[in-house]
Amino acid sequence: MHLTNEQLNEYLDNASTERAEIETHLDSCDECAARLSALQALFTDLDSLPDVELSTNLAARFSPRPSLTPQLPRWLTLTATLQAAAALVALIVAIPFFSIMIPQIETPSFTTWLFELQSLWTSWLDTLSTFQLPITQFPNLPAYPVELSTLFIALSIVSIFWIFGNGLLLRNHRHS
Amino acid sequence: MNAPTDRDLILQARRGDAEAYGDLVTRHQTSVFNVCYRILHNRADAEDLAQETFIRALDRLHTFDIEREFSPWIRRVAANLCLNHIEAQKPSAPLDEERDEDKTQGPSEQVEVKERSEQIRSALASLPPHYRIVVELRHYQELSYDEIASELNIPLSDVKSHLFRARKLLAEKLHAPD
Ligand SMILES: [Zn+2]
Repeated sequence: MHLTNEQLNEYLDNASTERAEIETHLDSCDECAARLSALQALFTDLDSLPDVELSTNLAARFSPRPSLTPQLPRWLTLTATLQAAAALVALIVAIPFFSIMIPQIETPSFTTWLFELQSLWTSWLDTLSTFQLPITQFPNLPAYPVELSTLFIALSIVSIFWIFGNGLLLRNHRHS
Repeated sequence: MNAPTDRDLILQARRGDAEAYGDLVTRHQTSVFNVCYRILHNRADAEDLAQETFIRALDRLHTFDIEREFSPWIRRVAANLCLNHIEAQKPSAPLDEERDEDKTQGPSEQVEVKERSEQIRSALASLPPHYRIVVELRHYQELSYDEIASELNIPLSDVKSHLFRARKLLAEKLHAPD
C-alpha cells in the first residue's frame, strides 16, 4: 500500500499523527518519496513568492500630518482677530446712528418695497434682453452673435465648475 | 528611547491618538497589502482592500485582545475581507485581463524571477476563492488546520480537502512538463 495524498500533505504540514510509519515507508518506496518531493517543490515555490511594494502610503489617511497643513504665521492670525474685533466695535458704535437715521427715511410698507424690487429686476432683465453687443464700434472685428441664453448657460456652467472645483480643493485640504 | 511596541501604539490609538494608529499602519501596510495582492492579484483592488482592512481594524480596535500579536490578527482580517470581496463580485466573474501583469524590465535573471513569481500569482488567482484563502492562511500566515477551520468557520474536513485540492491544481499549473 502506497501513502495517500492526504498522508503526504499532512506529513508536510506537520499535522500527521503517524510520522514514524510514513518515514519508514518513504525510506523503502521510491515512488512515494518522489511524490513527496514534488509536493515539497510546490511548497518551496509558494515560499519563494516575494513581497511587492505598495505604491501609496496607506498611513497618510489615518495620521494627521501637521507639517503638511499650512500653519498661518502667528502675527497674521493675531491681526485677523484684531480686525474682527475692531469691526465688531465699529458695528456696535454705528447702531445708534442707524437708529436715528432710519426713522427719517420714508419707509414704505414691506409689500410695496418688494414690488419695487421686483419691477427693478424685470426692468433690468428687459435691458439685458435687448442689449446688443456694440459690434458697430469695432468694424474690424467679425460679427459675433452671442445669444443671451448661451451666455447664461455658459455662466452657469462656469459657476458650477467653480463651486465643484472649490469643493474638491477643500475636500483634499481636509484629508491631508 | 526605544521605538514603541505595537501594543503601545494600540493603547495610544484607543485613546484617540490618530498619529499612533498611523504609525501602526505604516508598520504593517506592506504585509497587509501583500495578503490582499496574493488573493486578489490586482494592485488597485489590493490597495483598496488593504485600506479597508485598516479602517475595519480601527473600528474593532477596542475589542482587540491586547495580549495577542497585532500582525497575525490584521493579516487574518485582510484575508477575510478579500474573501468576502471576491465572493461578492463572483457573479460578474473576475476578468483575467484586469489582473496585473508585471511588465517591469530588469536584468535577465531578475526577469526570470519575476516571470516565475507571476506564474505563481496567476496560478493562485486561478483557484476558486475558498481554495485561495486556505492556501493563503496555511502557506503565508502559517495557521494550523484547526485555526483555519475556526477562522473561516468551516469544518476541518473542508479545510483539508480545499487545501489538498488547491495544491494539486497548483502543482498541475506550475510543474506541468513543457
Ligand atoms: Zn509508496
